[in-house]
This record gives sequence, structure tokens and C-alpha cells, in this order.
Amino acid sequence: MTVVQLVVNGLLLGGVFALSALGFNIIYGVMRVVNLAHGDVVVIAAMVCALAFGALGLNPLVLLPVAVAGGFVLGAAIHRLLLRRLPAETASTEASSLTLTFGLSFFLAGGGLALFGGSFRSVPFLTGAFDVGGISIPQAKLLAFALALVLAAALAAFLRFTAAGCAIRATSQHLEGALACGVDIDRVRTLSYGLGTAVAAAAGALMSMIYNLNPQMGVQFTVNAFAVVVIGGLGSYAGCVLGALVLGLANAFTSYFVGASLAEAAPYVLFILVSLLMPSGLLGRRTA
Amino acid sequence: MAFLIVAPHRLNGYFVNLIYITLVYVGLAYGWNIISGYAGYFSFGQITFFGLGAYATGFAINAFHVYWMLAALAGGILACAFAFPLGYVMLRLRGPFFAMGMFGMAQTVRVLITALPATGAGAGLFLPPGSDVTSVYYWTLAVALGAIALTIWIDRSAFGLRLQALREDEQVAGTLAVDVTRDKIAAFALSALIPGLLGGGFIYFLNYIEPDAAFSSRFDLQSIVMAILGGVGTVWGPLIGGVLMTQISEALWAKFPQFYLMLFGGLLVALLILLPHGIVPALKRRYE
Repeated sequence: MTVVQLVVNGLLLGGVFALSALGFNIIYGVMRVVNLAHGDVVVIAAMVCALAFGALGLNPLVLLPVAVAGGFVLGAAIHRLLLRRLPAETASTEASSLTLTFGLSFFLAGGGLALFGGSFRSVPFLTGAFDVGGISIPQAKLLAFALALVLAAALAAFLRFTAAGCAIRATSQHLEGALACGVDIDRVRTLSYGLGTAVAAAAGALMSMIYNLNPQMGVQFTVNAFAVVVIGGLGSYAGCVLGALVLGLANAFTSYFVGASLAEAAPYVLFILVSLLMPSGLLGRRTA
Repeated sequence: MAFLIVAPHRLNGYFVNLIYITLVYVGLAYGWNIISGYAGYFSFGQITFFGLGAYATGFAINAFHVYWMLAALAGGILACAFAFPLGYVMLRLRGPFFAMGMFGMAQTVRVLITALPATGAGAGLFLPPGSDVTSVYYWTLAVALGAIALTIWIDRSAFGLRLQALREDEQVAGTLAVDVTRDKIAAFALSALIPGLLGGGFIYFLNYIEPDAAFSSRFDLQSIVMAILGGVGTVWGPLIGGVLMTQISEALWAKFPQFYLMLFGGLLVALLILLPHGIVPALKRRYE
């Protein structure tokens, strides 16, 4: 019974991890930027939701569209104002964009700390739980899981069926090819960074229902997203969902069997093992 | 130079501490510069070796009652020895994978040490009372000077040239009879020795160590920013960046402790955009 309960917990958690990791994956796919500020956006969105719930009684469902819009504007602004101004150099672009988002991550975490303080917050919304044959399913987690899947599906549909989504996929598959077909790479990058950040903010709104968070926990979510993407395979959206479920399960089982403090190391260990032993991930394209 | 040697006997405690901290940062920046500047493997986890050096030194002092410098020397050598197997595994990763993998390594070691009762867990490891700031000062001065001498040697040696070749293109360097694996592991071990030795001094300076201080990502961030400000992969960059940045950072910390992280992260972002190559290359370009 315990095992079934742990599987349920892990899968529910994995759904939200998947959403957050999809945003991370889009940014990496299109721009080859490992966005180290990803988790900080997640956490800041969650903080805003928690404060809005406490002060105005707005629940995260209402705030979800606001988070998406706010995240998009923030992401597009970060790309336009900062990332785009990095000197274009073939050798060190990856390193300098990595370092830039590293600095951005500290900026956002520090800003969050100055604005919201270091205390833990969450949204006490739908605190009950369903009981299915002895397995407890918390309502908030189920709702967050379902919404995460809906958003992930909407994102997939956007990428698949719209012209902008097509341009994003083309750019991540082959930069020169997309350029040759007349894709405005610069706009696609702004769009992707905005989209990825919007998805992170949406994931944050959902996280606020199921996690107790403080502004300094962003790093954990960045690492989770990175680990998920590496486990699933860079650039693979289905792999992303699979990787997130694997990580969710790993988290649930290690927390139960070896304790919550050691479980903190689970994504790091999984990430290092997968990138060493299986560099293309579970569903990634095999590249030489 | 003479000033640095007589400083502990002439200046008051505050200034001696300030110079000490500056020397620690300069040393850390030089250590990072070897693997990340010369060999081009950006690491976000060199603090792992600082923490290991500190803990190993603490153990040696408590268990064998040896003079602290001997213990710190052992700590540095241990950190360096640990870098060989670790480098053999981790240096298979490239770019952001290596950077994040090392970040994960630092966090994993921190979590493990926090979980182990033998290391004093979260409370920290305490030394027998009685510290001697002057001896720590000279130790750190010697390590920092040693790091500079080492970098001068690397910059002029065939070894340094081989590192720069593998930084520019590892595959090409490999075909030109550079033993890339051996050279990058050697660079990794050297850049682990320096923080290991500094960590040994640090625990004696504080008279105790706790996991969050030993594996502090703030230390890591700062030393990286310093090397970038001064000029990555240059001989004098980490010195200039380290001295400048420590003064700025101490002033920020003293005046705006609540905005410190935010300002520092923002500074890193601004630096990357405005002065992407650092001070030393910018000066060189102007006067050549």
C-alpha cells in the first residue's frame, strides 16, 4: 500500500515538474541557453500567488493567466534587454549566457528575498484529500497535476499547429535552415524566452498550492528542470514528461526511505548519472 | 609586497581581516581560472574542494592533534587527490553539463556532510579553542602567491598552451597529439589544490565550520565574478578582479545587507554586457 501511495505522490509531483521543465526545454532548444534563472521565476510567481491569496483572496486559478502574461513580459524583456546584448562570439556564447543567467538568478533570488522576506509561504487552497481505496489523493495536488497537463497540452498544440510554434521548432532543429527559410531568428528567440518564462511562472502558480516555498529555493527548481530535461533527452518534449515522472517518483521514494534532507540530492545524482551513462537521455535523439 | 608582509603587525584587526578575505577570494579566483579560464571548463562547483579541505583539516586537527598548517596541507592534498577520480568522471561532461554537474557535486557533498553525524552535521565541526589569525594570514598569503606563481608558469608553459588548445577545440587538440584527458584532469587537480589549501586556513580562522559556510555558493559566485571582471584566462585578471571586487562586495555587504545578493547578481549581469572580456584584455587592447 505504501508503495502505491508513493507512486501516486511521485506521479502527481512529476506533472508539475514536467510543466516547469517544458519551459526550460524550449529556451534551451531554441537558444542553447541553460536558463539558470528558471527556478527563481517559478518561486517568485509562487510568492506573488501566496501574497495575493492572503491579501485579496484570489486563488491560483484566477492568477494563472496573470502569471502566464507576467512571465511572458518578463522573459521577453530579459531577452531584449540583456541576453541579446551579449557579444556574439562563437567560442564563448554558451559560457557567457550561462554566467549571465547565473547572475540573473542571484538577482531574482536576492530581489525576492528583499521583497518577500525569507519566510515560507504557500496557498492554503483545496486542502482536503480524496480517499480512493486507502490511497489518499490531495485535491490541490490533483488539481495542479491536471492543470499542468492541460497547459502542457496547450503548449504542445501551440508548437505544433501555429506558424509561430512552427518557427520555434524549426529554429531549434536547424538554425541556418530556419534562417534560410526566412524565419526572423531574433523574434523567435524573444518569443521562446518569453514563452519559457511564462511556463515557469505558470508552474510557480501551481507549485504555490502544493509546496511551502521561500525565495531562496529557486535553485532547487532550476536543478529539477535541468535534471528532467537531461533525463528525458534534450530537445525531446515527450522525454521531458517522462523524465519529470521519473524525477517525481525518485523524489517520493527517496524522501520516504532515506529522509527528506538526503532526497534533496536525488536530482543531482540522477542528473550526473544519466548524463554520464546515457548522454542522450531516455528519449533524446541519438547524436554522435 | 612588503606592506602585505608587515600588515598583520601594523594594522588593526579590521584591516587584517579585510586583507585576509581579499586573499581568500583572489586565491579562489586563481583556482577557478585554471580549469575554467585556461582549460575552458566552466565550473560552478570549485567550492566543493574548499569545503573538503576545511573538513579534512578539522578532522586531522581533532583526531591527531597536529599543528594546523600540517593539517591544512593534508586537507589541500586530499582535495587535490579527490579531484583525480572526480575529474576523470566529470570532465567527460561538457559546457553547461559540466558546470551544472559540478554545481550538483557541491550540493551533493554539502547534503551528505549535513546528514552525517560524524561531521557535526548541520551544527558544524568545532576545533579546540584558540586561533591565531596571524598564522592564517601568512598561510593564505603564501597560497595566494603560490597560485599566482602557478598561473604565471601555466601561462608560459607547454602545458598551458595545451590547455588553451583544448579550450579552443578539444577534438582538434586531440588529433594534434595533445593527451586531452590527462591535461584537463591535471588542470582540474591544480584548480582543486588551491581551494583545498584555502579551506584548511578558513576553518582555523573561524575555529569551526558548518556545511553552509564550507560549501557556500556565495563564495563560488564571487570568485567567478572576480575572475570574469579581471579577465578569464589571463595571468593578472583574477588578482585585479579579486582585489577590486572584494572591496566593492564588502562595502555592499556593510551598507545594504538586505539587497546584497540582488546587487551582486545585477553587477554580474551588467559586467557581462558592458565589459565582456574583463579588465585585463580591455587594457591590453587599448595599449597594444
